[in-house]
Amino acid sequence: MAEGMTQVDVIVVGGGIAGMQTALDLANQGYQVALVEQEASIGGKMIMLSKVFPTLDCCSCITTPKMSAVAHHENIRLMTYSDIQSIHENGEGFVAEILMKPRYVDEDTCTGCRQCEYACPIDLPAKFDLNLGAHRAIRVPFSTAVPQKAVLDIDNCLFCGKCEQVCPVNAINFAQRAECSKIEARAIILATGFELTPTDAKQEYGAGQLPNVVNALVMERLLAPTGPYGHVLRPGDGKEPSSIAYVQCAGSRDKTLGVEYCSRICCMYAIKQAMLLSGALPLADITIYYMDIRTFGKGYEQFYQNAKAMGIEFIKGKVARITEDEDHNPVVRVELIDEGSQVVERAHDLVVLSVGMLPAYDPQPKYRVSLDKRDGFVYVPSPNLSPCLTDRPGIFVTGTAAGPMDIVDSIMLAGAAAAEAAAYLRAYPDTQGIDTVREAVHA
Amino acid sequence: MPKKANHGDEPRIAVYICYCGGNISDVVQCEQVAKALSQQPNVVITRTNMSMCSDAAQAMVEEDIRKLSVNRVVIGACAPALHEQTFRGTVSRAGLNPYFYHHVGLREQASWVHHDDSSGATEKAIRLMMAGIAKARLLEPLEPIKLDAKQHALIIGGGVAGLRSAWDIARRGIKVSLIEKSPFLGGHMAQLESVFPTGESARALLGKLIEKVVSHPNITVYTSAELVGVKGYVGDFQVQIRQQSRGISDDIAEAALQAPLPEVPDEFNYGLTQRKLIYRAYPGAYPAAPAVDWYNCPDGHLEVEINGQFVILENAPKTFDLDVGAILVASGFRPSEPRYGEYGYGELPEVITLPQLIRLLALQKSGDKLIWNGHPVNNVAMIHCVGSRQIEGIHEPQPDGQVNNYCSRVCCTATLQAANELHKRFPHIHIFDIYEDIRTYGRGHEDYYIEASFNKVRFLRFHVDEMPTVIHASKGEQRPVLVQVKDYLTKGQEIEVPVDLVVLAVGMMPNPIDDIIRMLKVSPGTDRFLLEVHPKLRPVETAVPGIVLAGTAQGPMNIQESCAAASAAAAKVAVLLGQGRVELEPFIARVDPDRCTGSGQCVEVCCYQDAITMETVSSNGHKIRRAVVTPANCAGCGVCVSVCPNRAIDIQGWTLDQYEAMVDAIAADLPEMEAMA
Amino acid sequence: MSEKHKEPRRAELLKQLREEHHETVERTKALLKTQKEIRRQICQATREAPKSVPEIAEATGLPAGDILWYLTAMRKYGDVIETGMCGEYYLYQRVEEAKK
Repeated sequence: MAEGMTQVDVIVVGGGIAGMQTALDLANQGYQVALVEQEASIGGKMIMLSKVFPTLDCCSCITTPKMSAVAHHENIRLMTYSDIQSIHENGEGFVAEILMKPRYVDEDTCTGCRQCEYACPIDLPAKFDLNLGAHRAIRVPFSTAVPQKAVLDIDNCLFCGKCEQVCPVNAINFAQRAECSKIEARAIILATGFELTPTDAKQEYGAGQLPNVVNALVMERLLAPTGPYGHVLRPGDGKEPSSIAYVQCAGSRDKTLGVEYCSRICCMYAIKQAMLLSGALPLADITIYYMDIRTFGKGYEQFYQNAKAMGIEFIKGKVARITEDEDHNPVVRVELIDEGSQVVERAHDLVVLSVGMLPAYDPQPKYRVSLDKRDGFVYVPSPNLSPCLTDRPGIFVTGTAAGPMDIVDSIMLAGAAAAEAAAYLRAYPDTQGIDTVREAVHA
Repeated sequence: MPKKANHGDEPRIAVYICYCGGNISDVVQCEQVAKALSQQPNVVITRTNMSMCSDAAQAMVEEDIRKLSVNRVVIGACAPALHEQTFRGTVSRAGLNPYFYHHVGLREQASWVHHDDSSGATEKAIRLMMAGIAKARLLEPLEPIKLDAKQHALIIGGGVAGLRSAWDIARRGIKVSLIEKSPFLGGHMAQLESVFPTGESARALLGKLIEKVVSHPNITVYTSAELVGVKGYVGDFQVQIRQQSRGISDDIAEAALQAPLPEVPDEFNYGLTQRKLIYRAYPGAYPAAPAVDWYNCPDGHLEVEINGQFVILENAPKTFDLDVGAILVASGFRPSEPRYGEYGYGELPEVITLPQLIRLLALQKSGDKLIWNGHPVNNVAMIHCVGSRQIEGIHEPQPDGQVNNYCSRVCCTATLQAANELHKRFPHIHIFDIYEDIRTYGRGHEDYYIEASFNKVRFLRFHVDEMPTVIHASKGEQRPVLVQVKDYLTKGQEIEVPVDLVVLAVGMMPNPIDDIIRMLKVSPGTDRFLLEVHPKLRPVETAVPGIVLAGTAQGPMNIQESCAAASAAAAKVAVLLGQGRVELEPFIARVDPDRCTGSGQCVEVCCYQDAITMETVSSNGHKIRRAVVTPANCAGCGVCVSVCPNRAIDIQGWTLDQYEAMVDAIAADLPEMEAMA
Repeated sequence: MSEKHKEPRRAELLKQLREEHHETVERTKALLKTQKEIRRQICQATREAPKSVPEIAEATGLPAGDILWYLTAMRKYGDVIETGMCGEYYLYQRVEEAKK
């Protein structure tokens, strides 16, 4: 082992729900795990959500304990705000070069008291709230962040020194520099997650220019108790909407966007949000325009039927166009398939685009795994029997890096990746999956 | 017996009320609850928080314990099932015995059930919290019961999920015994020809997996074997297995297959063909030896003529025991059987199920015409959601009185896969796909839908309250059957489709496993599939420690999902047994020997084997009879407590004194409060 | 090292950093100036009485969406509170004025 090299059994890339779960499932078996997350906190997309289907548990009730367990686990080395620079093989496994980005805050001394954040004079759009709210140039990423440590955005800093003046533990360190470290591991699990299909790609839906047409993750933030407004308001002018419409498959099953596949989660999250909205705004009318309702998971169909019984309106029809009227109310042009296919225009206060999933990250250059040329997610040569195997031995994939899936399925696949990697670590020569790896499809 | 409490004996209680991200605070006025509790005796701090389970809030609890010398913690939050363990970990990190923690379920018991009564829910929350505080005063430090675990798992079911988890567990260095009820491994996957989304041969994939499993030194496979008894607990279950005889020795195996014998419908082909009473389920099946169908041989005898000689084959089932640390249930599904007359099923010979069509296509491997019922098929109607997505009041219930109100996940893609194969092999066939919603959700599945549209499959969409009807065509019609659909893709037109074959895309139902459910004490959900503890927190575990689920026993899944679930279940087994030790909750019976008079009533009522026994002990030179608890066998049910005439038995962590204190606190006057708005 | 000695060194370091990051500092300074001006206008518009987003937008001539963003930021850091609702809109006011 080289000087300054940390040795673990597995590196997990990505600290969203899949990465956290697979790290925990390995660590609980006694394996040493390094969990590397590029953001300043773990939690991924899931921690941004309000409540989760089909149980309607508050999302932080499911996510934050897992975040906490990861942070406290004796077998997990958590590295946030860190990028993997390169991966190479050393005969026994992989060596990862990791760059820990400077927080300009001493992580060991910072207590997360947020006094620096209050002292900082500049407001910036907060990524965690999808730019609806603000945070400061120095801030704790969000209220339930792990680690609960401040991070400074140096590119938007005035170097006024106010944070330094108020910090009770002298944790601010403008001289901090990025640090490099090396980790040696026998296996790697990619849990690099997804991004949303962009709302500006679709000209017919306003190309992202209509202020009261938002994507569904924005609605998650609006519904979350920690959300930017504290209420469901439309971002264009702060009006409490009394008529809200969902446009399904806005970014999936759409050849014009190059996304022909189904993103699997949108039907359920739209129904869930509709239910939460009818709780938050009991007088609001909620409409879901859909092509097919795909509530296929355990308990999901009953969830859909409950939503119908609650009075949420489901309308079969593909929305052709969204424009707006003079009051910036979005106007939806839709063919009502169940009503003789007549084409109508309907105005709503707020329109939510049920956007789909795209891969968040291209692991091909660094990890030399192939991508599936049809959907761009990590290629899985034998998806049926070995859903976590990539075409490179020792590198596994889990969660939405392996294609769209919901949280329940991600957690299941995270367990599967942990089992697959654990078996690989023990039976080193038995590296192949059950079936011969088919010819890789390179993107 | 209780050890000395941390931080001295005077209770210093920290009380927290969780908003639960609005789940509690939207109804219960949490600040008011906190205020009401702050003046209670022994309470040193009361706080509220948006999310107590967050790392920051847990750190706050730890700091309170250290700085305020807190020695008891009470948190009002979600159900204990969710986060009691989380907070035990928190107090433990701060150096406190983890059982100095008490969890009050405000979400389930106050806010969710009384969401229309804020002040009532708030009052109830205060009372529940007061009861929690009263119990906390009397908490004692406890230690989990540590037991050795057998590094050996029992897997019930030899389908793809059972096989996949066997392989994963074995590769982790843990022994596996896999039992399969039928004489052959492979389950329903063996009945498929090609699998979506890759188009690979199902049998070839399965064959490789079976080969890996049966050649692994850690795995023992028992076919024709079933579970008949279970004793013990996580780490140390004693399971009893009964295995039927194979019945045929290897030397006469091939000759036995040729022997003239009565025939029965072949379940492998869903009754489309017949098979003999000595059979091999499919070419290449494992084990290769043919099996005798004892189910259809009354008395367990079969007389058969082999090579000109009459031989009597006998079934001599053997029963044996295994000691295992965990049990994995992979008992699988069965295709739902349409009701007689449902879409003409059973009445019209032209109505078959999708699994039957898949076998039909496999049986008619060549030829340019698909033949059914002696006639070439030109028009096919495929109807979705048969036995799935049923709605009470619209669909007739299943024989058990329930409707299948769930989606079966696999049928849409499987139907379109079959439609595309029909088109490819018999391009002249017109295919009509009659559906409510097309759910080709999986990776690569949408391609089957796109391809089907490209293949000119005609889609007709019906509303669930206007279901299609399947009737016999009148005499002289070219096609024997007429399907009538109100089609909402063409403005609600009433369309009549004349067809030669109707294919019902039937859903999944769990295999009938009432005996296993009873023996293992696991619970099915309202959909009859086995129930996990929580879909996100503990997705493969049952409420019984040491018993995990894999595959379609838990709910409809396709092969990929079954394998993912199987591996996840294997990981859980590895976590449980990998260290060779398990920990059990210490909530078990405890006998006070000074109060026990040896009445023996506790032993009489105990439902668990050897959990409480009468033993002779010496006391001041006298031999006396006293009740003694064996911790590993006690489930902590408390039946013994209720019958003891001397109040000599308590459940640790839930003592009678604690209950009485809780009841008193609930019934007490509410603390002085400002008007409850 | 005593606090006395540390102060000048800190000031020196900050000055040096401002020079090093000249470009982003200048941009951020300009942004801060704009933000201060908009916050001032919002405070002025709500001095007499709490107002809704469209009302403030009309008074200041700024887009309603921007006003909402500023109010959200000011609320988060405790400068502004919601005082109630008027029709479908919430009303906002500076904390000091609202307390009066």
